[in-house]
Amino acid sequence: MKSFKFSLLAASLLASSSAFAASVAIKNATIFTASEKGTLENASIVFEDGVITAVNPATLSADTIIDAKGKFVTPGFISAMNQIGLVEVGAVSTSRDASPKKADITFDPSYGFNPESSLIPFARKAGITRSVVTPFSWGETFHGQAFSVLMNSEFNSIVDTKTAVVVTFGAASKDSRASSILTLIDKLKGQQAKLEKASDDAEKSDKKPSEEEKLLTALLNGEVPLVAGASRASDILHLINIKKDFGVDVIISGGKDAAKVKTQLAEAKVPVMISVLDNLPGNFDSLGAGLTTAGELEKAGVEVMFINTDSHMIHNLRFDAGNAVSYGMSVDGAVAALTSNVAKAFNMDSGVLAKGKPADVVLWSGDPLELSSYAQSVWINGEKVSTEARHDKLRDRYTSKDAKRRGYIKP
Amino acid sequence: MRRLALSTTALSIAILSGCSGNESQDPFVSYDKNPYPSTYQASEQMTVLITGATVLDGLGGKLESADVLLENGVIKAVGQGIDVGNAKVIDGTGKYVTPGIIDVHSHLGAYPNPSVESHQDGNEMTHPVTAEVWVEHSVWPQDPGFETARAGGITTLQILPGSANLIGGRSVTLKNVSAHTMQAMKMPDAPYGLKMACGENPKRVYGGRKEAPSTRMGNMAGYRMAWSEATEYKRAWDKYESDYKAGKNVQAPERDFTLDTLVGVLEGDIKIHNHCYKAEEMAMMIDLSKEFGYHAGTFHHAVEAYKIGDLLAENKVCAAMWPDWWGFKMEAYDMIQENAAVVDSYQNSCAVVHSDSDTTIQRLNQEAAKIMFRANENGFDISEEHAISWITSNAAISLGIEDKTGSLQAGKQADVVIWNQSPFSVYAKAEQVFIDGAKVFDVNDPEYQAQSDFLLGQQ
Repeated sequence: MKSFKFSLLAASLLASSSAFAASVAIKNATIFTASEKGTLENASIVFEDGVITAVNPATLSADTIIDAKGKFVTPGFISAMNQIGLVEVGAVSTSRDASPKKADITFDPSYGFNPESSLIPFARKAGITRSVVTPFSWGETFHGQAFSVLMNSEFNSIVDTKTAVVVTFGAASKDSRASSILTLIDKLKGQQAKLEKASDDAEKSDKKPSEEEKLLTALLNGEVPLVAGASRASDILHLINIKKDFGVDVIISGGKDAAKVKTQLAEAKVPVMISVLDNLPGNFDSLGAGLTTAGELEKAGVEVMFINTDSHMIHNLRFDAGNAVSYGMSVDGAVAALTSNVAKAFNMDSGVLAKGKPADVVLWSGDPLELSSYAQSVWINGEKVSTEARHDKLRDRYTSKDAKRRGYIKP
Repeated sequence: MRRLALSTTALSIAILSGCSGNESQDPFVSYDKNPYPSTYQASEQMTVLITGATVLDGLGGKLESADVLLENGVIKAVGQGIDVGNAKVIDGTGKYVTPGIIDVHSHLGAYPNPSVESHQDGNEMTHPVTAEVWVEHSVWPQDPGFETARAGGITTLQILPGSANLIGGRSVTLKNVSAHTMQAMKMPDAPYGLKMACGENPKRVYGGRKEAPSTRMGNMAGYRMAWSEATEYKRAWDKYESDYKAGKNVQAPERDFTLDTLVGVLEGDIKIHNHCYKAEEMAMMIDLSKEFGYHAGTFHHAVEAYKIGDLLAENKVCAAMWPDWWGFKMEAYDMIQENAAVVDSYQNSCAVVHSDSDTTIQRLNQEAAKIMFRANENGFDISEEHAISWITSNAAISLGIEDKTGSLQAGKQADVVIWNQSPFSVYAKAEQVFIDGAKVFDVNDPEYQAQSDFLLGQQ
């Protein structure tokens, strides 16, 4: 699918796969595969050299066999539409790198990514093993490019750049909402014309395309998805038309009113990223917001993804999924909305527990969507990663019975 | 401090009283302390018997297969085998019953949805001390957030002004009923609160304008000057009253709305609600309260409360906390998920879980659950019957309404939630919600699902 490639996947796999050769099996688990196989009871999974080698094999052999005793296994969750690694403290301007002075399609924030951010271990504790990180712009239609990362806090954790182009439509305070759609249509038409001219005029094609032209071509070829922020039903319909008219692989982000146009979304195969719990009409773009949106979209056949745009709070994504189930979504659908649907939308080779896929695996103490459960063990590309964050150190310091002054207690 | 230009004799709201026949004295000047009184009345109060439920009474008690009787707007009885002939019986088998949930920190109505330009009514960002503003005058009862909060079991909530100012104004405590005036939601006899704010917000708002305060020391100076003026003002009124009683014809002090509210705190009628994240700031705010002789009340957003749990308990100060909000400012960087559990572990503590959000207010039960489970994973042993107190009885203590609501004790207001299962599950839903014995929400009956004017008729 992805001929347009600046991918670092191969390099990243090579770099991180050398440290572990031993095979691991988890048995007696309820496994949410997030694939067409659905949920498997009393099942097992085996991985080795960073890759899943078997799901539910007839005979189990591995260097380490973990008895899950009926507990749950999911693919690592994939969060999207956040600024993980691009922000440490929201109000500290020097720790914010998601927003350039003037955003446009060429802005690639991956150069600002910090794999050592304290947000990453905190999210990892909640079973998040990958993220699609996005730039954010106030006021510009084009925010720039998304990139994807492993949540393993390693310096080589960027998996892919130019993963998507991010744009926002809808409510605008200093302009008409029409302007942003017109800007997009204008750019796509302009690039179409250039491509036609280039093919008519072959001798002139030695002129190197600009970065913007390359990205627009990739959008027109459906090689890179367009993440389009939009909530009002009428805006969503315009974006469905952009997919139809230009072949752009549109993903709706926000989608507060999406349930109103679920049939059109399903028919056009446009996936939707939603914040499950955003059920209030924040403005006139979101009068259709509600807790049942996820379930309604699922039933209509729309591929749903769950997002939390607050990077510090993505650990709650699994609870958002639990709430989506309360309001009508299937459990498998809710798990897919955190795993396989995200992987599919962003052309990531992960998000399912299937043979040959990267071993992003989480073993849960209980129902992974429940408030009472926690991630007992997390593997990223087959490597077991820490589930301890700075927060845990602070807790341990201040609950320590040690009589020393707190500053000398270093748990 | 802004004084009113009007002289006291010109004030039409002055109540003339105490004309004792002493020809040489002018009428005694005093003021109505409740000029915007509650007009709240419960809807149809039913006699309801909930049978066979798991009851969390809000005070640490858990009863299995228990009955709860609501009659004449109050909790009549809680226990096994209650039988009342004329009650409407609700089969509570497999369900949970808790007190109505109380959120001590909300901006519903003042920062309502839609959150458009015209609706930014929560922060009077024109002076660092605006104790004269009352947030009840900003409340839009048609905020759809009241309805969604009610569906989450919220029966009582405190609306606070924002945190831009050192002293931001009075709060109001509302019963979460559908109404088209603020007064019809206002909880009768609930004390007013006063919003204060520490730390980054006031110094950023005013420092950014090159006005005081621009530093944390400037914040402290601002509070101290305000409380000092309030002390002088109180002294002037006390002197006026004692001189008048001694038969002197004295002139009343000039009225000051800002200082009226601060004096209400000094006299113990108004409770402090102090946005304050950091341990060292909370410790200073406790000293400040002692310097001027009032109670420090409740620290809200007390992200670092776990660092001074002992100090908070010693001073009987409440801490209202989120389970996990963090990282949006430096003062919110040291979050731990077990914060409320650590605060709660000290004797005489008052741990409260609050929302400050139009979305999480709908799931304060889940917020409490997250804290309980994260704490229990890390060495605590907190039961659900205990953790429910963080969003019921302790919240009521913070608001000064614990004699009225927040627990399922006989005689308390019948503010009750029936949950489809343990409210500590992500799958829990409030099925029925009662306020003062009147059903205000039923998840299965559209007749009991109010809708705000704003959403009526929208496509």
